[in-house]
Amino acid sequence: METRRLVLTLTGIAVMMIVVIGGLGAILLASGGGDDSTAGDDDGDDLGARVEGELRLFGPDPITLDPACASDAGSAEYIVEIFSGLVSFDLDLNLVPDVAEALPDVSDDGTVYTFHLRSNVLFHDNSRPVTADDFKFSLERSLNPDTQSTVGEVYLDDLVGAAEFIAGNADEVTGIRVIDPQTLELTITEPSAVFIDKLTYPTAYVVDQREVGDATCFEGSGWTLTPNGTGPFKLAEWDLGRKIVLTANERFHLEPAPALERVTFILSGGSSFVMYENDEVDVTGIGINNIETVRDPNGDLNADLHEGPRLDIFYIGFNTQEAPFDDANLRNALSLSINRDFLAREFLLDLVTPAKGILPPGIDGYNEALPEIPFDPDAARDLLEMAGGAGVIDGATILTSGQGATPSDILQAVLAMWEQELGVTVTIEQEDFGLFLRDIDEGKFQMFSLGWIADYPDPQNFLDIKLHSESANNEAGYSNPDVDSLLDQADREADEATRLDLYQQAEVIVVEDMPWAPLYHGKASYLVKPYVEGFVIPPFVIPNLRYVTITR
Amino acid sequence: MPAGLATYIIRRLLLLPLILFIVSFATFALGRYAPVDYVEIQAGPRAQPETIERIREERGLNDPVPVQYVRYMGNALTGDFGISTRYQGFPVADVILPRLWITMQYNIVVLVLTFSIGLPLGTWAALRRGTWQDPLSIGVFLLFASVPVLISIPLLQWLFSVQLGVLPSGGWSEAEYLGVEFGLFSKHAILPILALTLPGVAGVARYMRGQVMEVLDQDFVRTANAKGLKASTVVTRHVARNALLPIVTILGFELAALIGGSIFIETLLGIPGIGLLAFESIKTRDYDTIMAIVLIGSTVFILTMLVIDVVYGFIDPRIRVEGSMS
Repeated sequence: METRRLVLTLTGIAVMMIVVIGGLGAILLASGGGDDSTAGDDDGDDLGARVEGELRLFGPDPITLDPACASDAGSAEYIVEIFSGLVSFDLDLNLVPDVAEALPDVSDDGTVYTFHLRSNVLFHDNSRPVTADDFKFSLERSLNPDTQSTVGEVYLDDLVGAAEFIAGNADEVTGIRVIDPQTLELTITEPSAVFIDKLTYPTAYVVDQREVGDATCFEGSGWTLTPNGTGPFKLAEWDLGRKIVLTANERFHLEPAPALERVTFILSGGSSFVMYENDEVDVTGIGINNIETVRDPNGDLNADLHEGPRLDIFYIGFNTQEAPFDDANLRNALSLSINRDFLAREFLLDLVTPAKGILPPGIDGYNEALPEIPFDPDAARDLLEMAGGAGVIDGATILTSGQGATPSDILQAVLAMWEQELGVTVTIEQEDFGLFLRDIDEGKFQMFSLGWIADYPDPQNFLDIKLHSESANNEAGYSNPDVDSLLDQADREADEATRLDLYQQAEVIVVEDMPWAPLYHGKASYLVKPYVEGFVIPPFVIPNLRYVTITR
Repeated sequence: MPAGLATYIIRRLLLLPLILFIVSFATFALGRYAPVDYVEIQAGPRAQPETIERIREERGLNDPVPVQYVRYMGNALTGDFGISTRYQGFPVADVILPRLWITMQYNIVVLVLTFSIGLPLGTWAALRRGTWQDPLSIGVFLLFASVPVLISIPLLQWLFSVQLGVLPSGGWSEAEYLGVEFGLFSKHAILPILALTLPGVAGVARYMRGQVMEVLDQDFVRTANAKGLKASTVVTRHVARNALLPIVTILGFELAALIGGSIFIETLLGIPGIGLLAFESIKTRDYDTIMAIVLIGSTVFILTMLVIDVVYGFIDPRIRVEGSMS
């Protein structure tokens, strides 16, 4: 009896397995046979299928598409295409009016900005035009503590009344005034050359108040699946973690209007380089593993290679508040013993530009005349002696962020140079990114390695934000009254040429003091299929998709 | 159903909440006591410390951990698994369910393939004992069973995707059948299935070979052979049946290995399943999502083990009566 039951059970299982596997095989064969002509749906099976007028990209998996909440470039990249603000940057880094019909009228004392809105800007559902009320709602929403945005006040705290509003002592931000439906007046506490640049950041973008309601950054984000934006593209589909599909906003208010019909972003998958080779995506970034293959002038991919600057800097920061790194001689010794040319050209295969100062090439105020930081081991050793010899930093640590077992090769290369040229041994301490940020914020480090990417193309975003003694982002704790005074002057200066000159003066002093050892500035290296025209990876997050056309 | 079995099942079911409590509280506490929370990570380098502290306070992250735990579990019992912070502001259930579906699809196939190929293969290897095929097969099994997916995946990607160009290098298909998404029936499913099945089959075959060889040495097999039964009858009726019993238990371990393995598989191949979500949630301290994944994972595992025990008792009467007789 028992035997029969067992045999029956096993037979049953076997039959089931055969059915499942057989069925699977049959379907696999059938689907491989090519009956999937369902256009518009990347079935994935027919590698290389592309809809007419569709651009296929491999994109970062965004954390949020709520403009008030985005604190990372990976999220902002989509938001700037779906939503828009009063002003934005074009691909030449010019500030241009967006929903505003012209750049604002600024009062003589530099504190009152009056924006006149275009009358033809409609929300994506074409229900109604954008009004000054919508902007007041959206800006206040970003600042409202109930929204729980971590970045709202970072970009908007210049506004009069922002502090009272955040503290809960006011029902509105008094510095945001609706004059009439087409006129918005923004008042800031003191003149600032970069206030208007900050308005290009998503926290100042307009959202549809009827749709958003009381959704916060951490609750009720359902509306961002069908956001009623005003940007060049509409969000057609967001499959969390898998794909984002944008379609053209045919009524977009700026020229050129989007030429692409749709843009599909694949958010998860294998290597984007392999996907590019297999014709699954139209653009891919190039890293150190592939760059030599691609640069080969006889290679198939060489013609597809594009390069552009990135407005960023990678550096090693020193704790200038504590011994031994409070000594500029020591910091300069370490900096002079770094062979930046070798790092950038031999080690990183020219994927980066060696840094000679703080400001990246391509930014307004970039100082062509600034001399390169030399690789001068002899001078470095002299300076080290003056600082007390190699002994003073024996056992020092450098803090870096990252997962995985091996810290970045670049950092190891720098350490090897220090060891070889100065005979000092520095150990690497690796921390999870969040913890790393906290520790450098609290000054719990001797040295750290970090990068900084521009929010807007202005020297202020590097020098003032990162190196003013009173800035919250000055992790190195750098404090030089001369630099502070130059930065403060620049902040108030209305004349652009004078302002940029002040920043250059400040940069010269910073490089002498060497609170950071600047290493290099990034470059965007990427492949674009020949039938895609007008695609560039911008130096920082700028809406770039409406300039793209597909010719085939 | 015999009385012994019923009490056994009830006893095991009663243990379920206790085990879930231990697992969930440990997970919860580990997350909360670990340095840095999701607000700080989301805020990035630009935010003001005061803003972070204010949001933390408003979101209840400053409450004592047991208070937070009770609050979470209370909601979870009503079916509310909280709100994701990796996909900021979306309910965890909405984030998890599509992912779970993807992970289930390929893992079920892997389980079926592993056992349907591994068992006959192991039996075959055992019957070839003493020939040159035996050391060869055991060598191959050992090789496949011990290569971690961290190594096999890049190799398979290189071979099938880069060199041959026949399979996508990763990701998951959106193919639909009868209105339901079935990425399983596409080329995207082949790499993960292959990478998990190879070591699975090898492991099961190796284990089965050992079991069969043990049974082959026993007296009743010799008797059966002596009686003049056909060799195939001896193998199917006597050898395989007895060798299979202990195999059922390793089904549970295979399942556990799959749950863990999908984290690596999905991260390496960019498959948007529950494994990749788990990895990302841990990286970004998405507390609620981590909790939900752990609760679902441990419930599935515990229930599977229970089913296996019951099935085991069903196949082998000696185990079932043990409860009532001894």
